Amino acid sequence: MKYMLTKALLRILIAGFTAMVITVSLYAQNTGTVLIKGGTVITVTKGTLENTDVLVRDGKIAQIGKSIAAPANSTTIDATGMFVMPGIIDAHSHAALDAINEATSPVTSEVYTGEVLNPFEIGIYRALGGGVTTIHAMHGSANAIGGECETIKLRYGVKDANALRMEGAPRTIKFALGENPTRVHGGGSNILPRTRMGVEFVIREAFAKAKEYSAAWDKYNKDKTQKGFRGAPPAYSIRLETLSEILKGNIIIHCHSYRADEIYSILKICKEYGIKRIVFQHVNEGFKVAPELAEYGAMASVFADWWAYKFEVYYSTAYNAAILTRNGVVTSINSDDGELMRHLYHEAGKTQKYGNLSDEEALSLITINPAKQLGIESRVGSLEVGKEGDIAIFKGHPLSVYAIPMITIVDGIVRFDRQKDADDMRVMIDPKEPLDAVNIETNTDLSDNCMKDAEEVFYNLFELK
Amino acid sequence: MKNPCRSSGSALFLTLISILAITFSLCAQDVRNLPPVSRSYAITKVTVFQGPGRKLDNATVLVRDGVIAAVGQNLAVPADAVIVKGDSLYVYAGFIDGLSRVAVNKPKEETREKQKDPGNPAPEAAGITPYVDVRALLNPVEKSIEEWRSLGFTVGQVVPYGGMLPGRGALIYYNGEATDKMVLNPTAGLYSELTPAERMYPATILGVLAKWKELYRQATYAKSYGGVYAANKSGLEVPESDRILEAFYPVIDKQIPVIFKAEKSLDAQRVLALKSQLGFNLTIAELKEGWDLIPSLKSNAKIFLSLELPEEKKDDKGKVDAEKKKDEQAMFPDSVEFKALEKRRDDFIALYAGQAAAYQKAGVSFGFSTLSAKPKDVKGNLKRMIKAGLSEDAALAALTTNAAQALGVGDRLGTIDNGKIANLVISRRPYFDDKSKVVYVFIAGKLYKVNATPEKAEADKKKEKP
Repeated sequence: MKYMLTKALLRILIAGFTAMVITVSLYAQNTGTVLIKGGTVITVTKGTLENTDVLVRDGKIAQIGKSIAAPANSTTIDATGMFVMPGIIDAHSHAALDAINEATSPVTSEVYTGEVLNPFEIGIYRALGGGVTTIHAMHGSANAIGGECETIKLRYGVKDANALRMEGAPRTIKFALGENPTRVHGGGSNILPRTRMGVEFVIREAFAKAKEYSAAWDKYNKDKTQKGFRGAPPAYSIRLETLSEILKGNIIIHCHSYRADEIYSILKICKEYGIKRIVFQHVNEGFKVAPELAEYGAMASVFADWWAYKFEVYYSTAYNAAILTRNGVVTSINSDDGELMRHLYHEAGKTQKYGNLSDEEALSLITINPAKQLGIESRVGSLEVGKEGDIAIFKGHPLSVYAIPMITIVDGIVRFDRQKDADDMRVMIDPKEPLDAVNIETNTDLSDNCMKDAEEVFYNLFELK
Repeated sequence: MKNPCRSSGSALFLTLISILAITFSLCAQDVRNLPPVSRSYAITKVTVFQGPGRKLDNATVLVRDGVIAAVGQNLAVPADAVIVKGDSLYVYAGFIDGLSRVAVNKPKEETREKQKDPGNPAPEAAGITPYVDVRALLNPVEKSIEEWRSLGFTVGQVVPYGGMLPGRGALIYYNGEATDKMVLNPTAGLYSELTPAERMYPATILGVLAKWKELYRQATYAKSYGGVYAANKSGLEVPESDRILEAFYPVIDKQIPVIFKAEKSLDAQRVLALKSQLGFNLTIAELKEGWDLIPSLKSNAKIFLSLELPEEKKDDKGKVDAEKKKDEQAMFPDSVEFKALEKRRDDFIALYAGQAAAYQKAGVSFGFSTLSAKPKDVKGNLKRMIKAGLSEDAALAALTTNAAQALGVGDRLGTIDNGKIANLVISRRPYFDDKSKVVYVFIAGKLYKVNATPEKAEADKKKEKP
C-alpha cells in the first residue's frame, strides 16, 4: 500500500514536472521582463500617471509606480517625455490569415480561422508599428454564418502558428447580414439568402437545426450510459456542433451589419434563442438603435468615418461611436484593413472632433472596449498590475495627430522598436518570389477585408473573369 | 492519284501485307516477353555499398530468383549465372522514392459544369475520392518510369492525382511490367493534400481542414456502429454503405498511414494539427521548408524531404540571369536595397539546400521524395545538399534504408544483404561523384541496362561507323 502510494505520488510529481518543462519550452521565449521608466502612463481604466515606471515581469505587469528598480536580466526603456499606453486591440481584422472566406455556403460555422494562421505575414509587423498588440482575426462576411475566428497576439517573429494564439481567449464566430451574403449566395448561386429576410431565415433555420442536433446527441449520450444499448449515433456535423455551442453561450457572435432594421431583427433572434453575447461589427446605423443595443447588452465595433463603399453603407455618421458610447453601448473602433490598422489611435482621436469624447473614452475605443468585446478584458486592454504586458509607447499623445508609435511590447517582449526598424523584417522568404515583387504588398495585406476570397467566388460564379 | 481500292487485286495484296505485318509484330512481342536465359546473376569484382557506411571492395553479389543470394569476397560464381563484370563499378541498394506519380495516369482535364449549389457539390467534383486505388491508374509504359530508373530509383510510393483526398497510394517497382507485377505494397497509405476545390466547397483551406476532420470523425462513428451491427444485427437500423468513410477505416485502425503532401512550413504545421486532433499515423512527404519543424516532426511523422530545390542564382556571368538582373535592378535604383534583398533570398535558398543536413544533424531519420522534382535536377540537388553539410552516408540512407523503414519494407529493401529483394543500382564511379553514371539497375532480380541519353546514343552510333 505504501509502495503504491509512493508510486502514485511519483507519477504525479513526474507529470507535474513534465507539464512544467513543456510550459517552459513552449512559452518561455514568448514572455519577457521589461522596465519602462519615467513615462506618462495612460492606464485607461485607472487614470493617467505622470513620470511613472511600469515593470513587466515574465510577461505580466508586476508593478506601476515611481522609481522601480530594474530586476536582473531585464530590458530598461527610457520613456521620459513619452506616453505609455495599453497595447491597441483591433476587434475586426483579417491579418495573419491564409484564407478568410469559405464563401461557398451560406452557413460555414465548421470552419475556423485559428487553423489557418500565418505568422509570417508582414502585415503583423506593420500593425505592431501602429501600437497594435492583439487582433481579432476574423472569417469574412460572405456567409450569413461564417467561420469561427481567432483572437491572436502579434508575437511577430515566431514561426509556430500556434504561438500567435491568445490561449484561453473565448471562442468567437462571424455572422454577416445584408448585401454581402445576399449577393454571394442569392445573386451568385441563386440559393438562399437573396434578401435580408432570407438572411434572417438562414440564421433562424441554422439555430433550429442546431437545437435538434444538440437534443439528438444528448439523448444518444444518455442512452449510451444504459447497459446493453446498441443504437446508432446521430449524424456527426462540425457545423452543427459549433452552432450548438453558440446556443449554449460558449461562443461570442460578431455580426457584420449595417442597417438598423436588420440589427434589430438579429437582436430578436438572439433573445428568442437565449443568446446573450453578441457584438455588432461595422454597425453604421447603430446610432439609430443605440438604446436597444445598450438594453440588450449587445456591443458595437465601428469605423470612425468610413462609409459609402456600397449601397447599404450610405446612411452613416462620424458621430456613431460617440452616440453609441453616450447611450451606454460598449463600443470599439476597428480597422478591417491592413492599412487602417496601423493608425487606430488616429481613428480613435476622430471621436473627439465628432462627439467630444474624453481622452479616456476615446482610448477605451481601441483598448479596454475591444477587450470586452472579445471577452479578454481581465487580461489586456488597460495598464493594471496582474494584466498581461502588452504596451504601446508613443512620442506625443496617442490622440494627437503628431503621435508617433515608438515601441510596441507584447507579453514583455519588444516586438517593434522604431530605432531598430530594419528594412527587411520578413521572417520567411520564398526564394521563388521575384525580387521586384518584394516590399510592395503581400496579397493579404492591404486588401485583407471582409470580402477577400468572396469577391473572387462572386466573380467566378458570374463568370465575370 | 491512283486509288488502290479500285483494283480488287491490289486490295487483296494490301490485306496480305497487313496480315503478315501483324504476324511479325506478334512474333516480335513474343521474343521480347521471353523469360531471361537465367534468373541467376553474378556481379563480380565490384565495390559494394551494402548499406550506408558498409563498403566492401572487390566483392561479388549473387542474385537468384529475384533476391540477393550472397554478398562477399571470393564467392564462387554459380555455373548458370549471367556474369555482370563489375570491375571499376559500384553497387548500391536500389533507391526508394517516398512520394511520386511515376507511372500514374493523369486524369483528363474536364470542363466541369458549374455547381448548382456550390456549398453541396458531388464529392468527386470536390476532390474527395479516398476510395480510389492507384493500381487502377497505373500505366506500365509511362515514359518517366525509365527516366527515374536511370537515376537509380527502383521503388516508389505512388499516389493518384486529385484534390484533398485523391485516393490510396501503393508502393511500386519501377519495372514497367504488367500492373500487378509492378505492385509491392498495394495499400501503402491514404493520400491527402490541403488542396481546395475550385468554385465549390471546400474552396479554401479553411473548408478543407473542416471537411477533413468531419469525414474522419464521421468515419469513426460509422465504423464503430458497423461493429455494433455486425455483432448482432437483430432490431438495428441497417448501416449505410459509404465508400468515402470506409476508405478511412484502415487509417482509423492504424493499419495504414495518411500520406500528406506538405511542402511549406505552414502546410506541415496544419497537417500536424490535424494529426494531433485525430490521432492517425502520419507520413509527411515532399517537405521543402521544414528546417524549423524538426522538434515537432521527429516523433510525430515519417518524413520524406523533397528532392526539388529552388534554383541557385548563377553568377553575373550567366547571360539570361544578367539580363534579368538588369531588369530587376532597373526597378530598384537603390542597388543597396536590391543587394540586401538578394542576400536574404540567397540565405533562404541555402536553408532549403541545408534542410536535409539539418535533419541529419538533429539525428532525425528521413527519406526523399520527388513529387515536384525533375529527373534532370535530382543528382545536382543531391550534390547541393551534400555541399550544404549532408553526409554521403546520410544521403544514401535517405535514398535506401531510411526510406525502406519509413515505408514498412525495411526487412526487404534498403540494403544489399542476403535474402533481400534484389534491387540494385550499379554505377560507374561512386554515385555521388560528379562524373558518376548509372549503368545497370536490378529490380526484383531483373537486369535493366541503362541506355545512354538519345543524343549520346546517336553520337556513339556515328562513332561506330567507319
